[in-house]
Amino acid sequence: MKKALQILFILSIFFPIAFLLLLSLGRNWPYPELLPQSLSLENWEFLQKSDSKLLQTFFLSLGISILVATVTTALAFITSKHIALSKYRNKLMLLAYIPYVLSPVILAATLHFFFIYAGISGNVSGVLLAQFFIAYPFGVIILNNFWNHKTRAIEELSKTLGSSSWQTFKNVLLPISKNALLLCFFQTFLVSWFEFGLTNLIGVGSVQTLTVRVFSFVNEANIFYAALASCLLILPPMILIWINKRYIFATETVI
Amino acid sequence: MKFKSKHISITIFILFAAVPVLLGFGYALLYSFGLTGILSEGFTTEYWEKTLLATEFWKSLGFSLFIAAVVMTTSLFFSLWIVISWTKNLYKGLLSYVTYLPLAFPAIVMAFFSFQLLSKSGFISRVIFNLGWIDDLSQFPDWTNDAYGVAIIFSLCLLITPFFIILYSNLYQNERIPELKALAQTLGAKKNQITTRIIVPILLKKSAFTIMLFLIFVMGTYEIPLLLGRQDPSMLSVFIIQKLQKFNLADIPQAYAVSVIYILLIATLIAVVYKTRPAFFNPEKN
Amino acid sequence: MKKVHIYLILITAVLITACGGKEKEENSIDLTSASWEEIEKEAHGKTVNMMMWSGDPKINSYMKNYVAPAMKERHNIDVELSNGQGNAVVQLIMTEKQAGKKSNIDMMWINGETFYQLRQVKGLYGPFVDQLPNAQYIDLDNPFIGTDFQEPINGMETPWGNVQMTLIYNSDNVTDLPQSREDLLDFVKANPGKFTFDNHFTGLTFLKALLIDIAGGKDALAGDFNEEKYNKYSAQLWSYVKELQPYLWKNGEAFPQNVAQMHQLFASGELLFTMSNNDAEVDNKINEGVFAASSRAYVPEFGTIQNSHYLGIASDAVDKAAAMVMINFMISPEAQLEKQNPDVWGDGTVLKLDRLSQEFQEKFQNIPSRKQAPNRKDIQEKALQELAPEYMIRLAEDFRTEIINS
Repeated sequence: MKKALQILFILSIFFPIAFLLLLSLGRNWPYPELLPQSLSLENWEFLQKSDSKLLQTFFLSLGISILVATVTTALAFITSKHIALSKYRNKLMLLAYIPYVLSPVILAATLHFFFIYAGISGNVSGVLLAQFFIAYPFGVIILNNFWNHKTRAIEELSKTLGSSSWQTFKNVLLPISKNALLLCFFQTFLVSWFEFGLTNLIGVGSVQTLTVRVFSFVNEANIFYAALASCLLILPPMILIWINKRYIFATETVI
Repeated sequence: MKFKSKHISITIFILFAAVPVLLGFGYALLYSFGLTGILSEGFTTEYWEKTLLATEFWKSLGFSLFIAAVVMTTSLFFSLWIVISWTKNLYKGLLSYVTYLPLAFPAIVMAFFSFQLLSKSGFISRVIFNLGWIDDLSQFPDWTNDAYGVAIIFSLCLLITPFFIILYSNLYQNERIPELKALAQTLGAKKNQITTRIIVPILLKKSAFTIMLFLIFVMGTYEIPLLLGRQDPSMLSVFIIQKLQKFNLADIPQAYAVSVIYILLIATLIAVVYKTRPAFFNPEKN
Repeated sequence: MKKVHIYLILITAVLITACGGKEKEENSIDLTSASWEEIEKEAHGKTVNMMMWSGDPKINSYMKNYVAPAMKERHNIDVELSNGQGNAVVQLIMTEKQAGKKSNIDMMWINGETFYQLRQVKGLYGPFVDQLPNAQYIDLDNPFIGTDFQEPINGMETPWGNVQMTLIYNSDNVTDLPQSREDLLDFVKANPGKFTFDNHFTGLTFLKALLIDIAGGKDALAGDFNEEKYNKYSAQLWSYVKELQPYLWKNGEAFPQNVAQMHQLFASGELLFTMSNNDAEVDNKINEGVFAASSRAYVPEFGTIQNSHYLGIASDAVDKAAAMVMINFMISPEAQLEKQNPDVWGDGTVLKLDRLSQEFQEKFQNIPSRKQAPNRKDIQEKALQELAPEYMIRLAEDFRTEIINS
């Protein structure tokens, strides 16, 4: 019974992936056919067509997310350390949690004026900054857990033994924080990679990330292209998860 | 030197984490009172009255709370059940990998998938039709764009349950639950008792803050109700964006009034937790 | 406290500006008095940002693969297209004006309700149409082209294309097409749950046609908004819709968010009808493999709205000259001819054919015929003119209170 349930569970996780892959190959799917009436690689060929720009979209999204995750992780690492040492640690963390739980699309709606004022609405730098606004508090929250008595004791020890700040950072803190940093990078990458409402609003339709494209395909009533773009959207994080699972998640909790 | 870098770093933090929220809040507040915006005609409480007196807003708030409560209850039930009954399998083998895969699904894809699965002409309906259980797709139950948000709840549970499975399987180890369990067994506790009196309370207590954060998350979710919900009632984010982009330009200040209420609500919730349970914000006292 | 706040705003503003964002230089010549040659010269080498609805792959392809290369080749103008329509455009322009900033967009594709809203916020540049050399060919005397939602365009926007709403059905499933309101009621009662209209532009356009029919047909509601007439006829309209309501999709308790969702429900067989403001859409969607090959489009006897879509220039646009040059090209006989080809887009032209050269007249007459989309001449007599914009705003609001929230 338990085994059967587990198999069912595993199948139910693979089902959406298979289903979306199948739809991405389809055309013309009237009721009550179980499968689309024609299956071919025709939709995928659309990827290469000059006016689809789906591949460019893919790399644009990838670039934005990697940049946001890198900057966030680096900055959050330093910030979270200083916050942990601050006597206002709790109050500062309180400030991190508000943007963290705030609906990004509502934040974007209330901030759009300022982005326009600064002249960065509708371009990539605006989207980067807006995503940074939500990813950064998230990064600080993730890394906040890392700075506990244990890490501080190790840091102190290293200094007592005569290492400089930089040596301590490079040879002691970085190695022991590797997992936390990878987790932070991975999570903030996903925040950026998955973001739709905020990107769409601040990007003003000009910055077309993959999520924005999925939505516009859904809005064109083309479920097959939407499924195709969905596949592009879920495959990279899936591969990342599969590869990194044992290195990252095994030691850290997600939240 | 050190003193300085610390201050710079905390200033940057406040600038990028707190200031945007504050600015947005201020802008929304001004707009909702008619103090800014190209069509504004000076201070007025008209938009606030319109917002607060209309049932639409209250329904939207109530609906968002309802969805959040149902989603969290369901997700917690399944994640606890899976972690407690499958403990050993979650740490090795295929299952340990598969559990993480749903994390690769963004909300927008989950919503799209749910629609293709659950709508009257969706995949499940087709399977049932082909099995001969229904003669027409209209006999298939209403799960998308329905009054109870069935498809919304379904999608959100699919997104959230994996998070909690991972969280609980980690907590299970960190809180030394296997040892506690063994101890309780030697003291003669029954299996059911161990689960309901020891394991579940420990896990829930340890995750209380995370649960509250997810409740707030769910209330503010956008893509999923946008694709799977209906116009009335609609969830808060959808409600705000639709007010913002309607044919009637005079509705825009109302959108900002609702944003103000929403931001206040969240800030209050977090502040209440901060006052009553400061330990949540500091892992060392946790 | 207030000082601190301002201080913070300043810091953020400086920071944000530092992160990027460059403003383009505005035109150096006075466009209102400039000759066309001067405007063309000014436009050379500039970039035009055009915001348009990108919900149709064929339209996107026409813009990207026909208009954009032509602009590059002839005037060295780069064309950047961004996705956005209707209220999103208005929202953006409003906020930009409020911030006192130059616009992110130079020109945009607009329809009647957007035209009305943009005029409300003074978001349009103009009048400019008379300065375009190709404007002489536009059929401005045609009320379906020269007036937009009962409002003379007055040179503030250029007609670009003309379409008529059609109902789309699958000829395998529906044979007896409803032609009147009574027919439609009978049909919907006989096929419960299989008919609806969306909660957006298309659905409202359909409701407008019903309202005109109730008011007595064609010109019954022409002219400015008339409160008295609206109250009288809309009451009848809502009682008609309430009669339909229990037999609509989801018992009329929810409506598709937009026309795309309606198309999708139609494609999968959940609905027997979908609608489109583009009379050529049925061919496009069959072509993409979204609709079944047996899909057809028609206009019921009570008529449907015919309207035009337009091109406007943002009042705070940076490259107005380049936008004018681009619009001039888009209304040229050759660009209009290409656009009307059903294999390209199938969009109706706004030009008056007898003003064109013999050569172009022939070319227009020899455009390959449509496949399943109805012939424009046949549906023309059932065409209804758009109503004043207030009708749409009131219908949208009342639809919410009378039908959705009831």
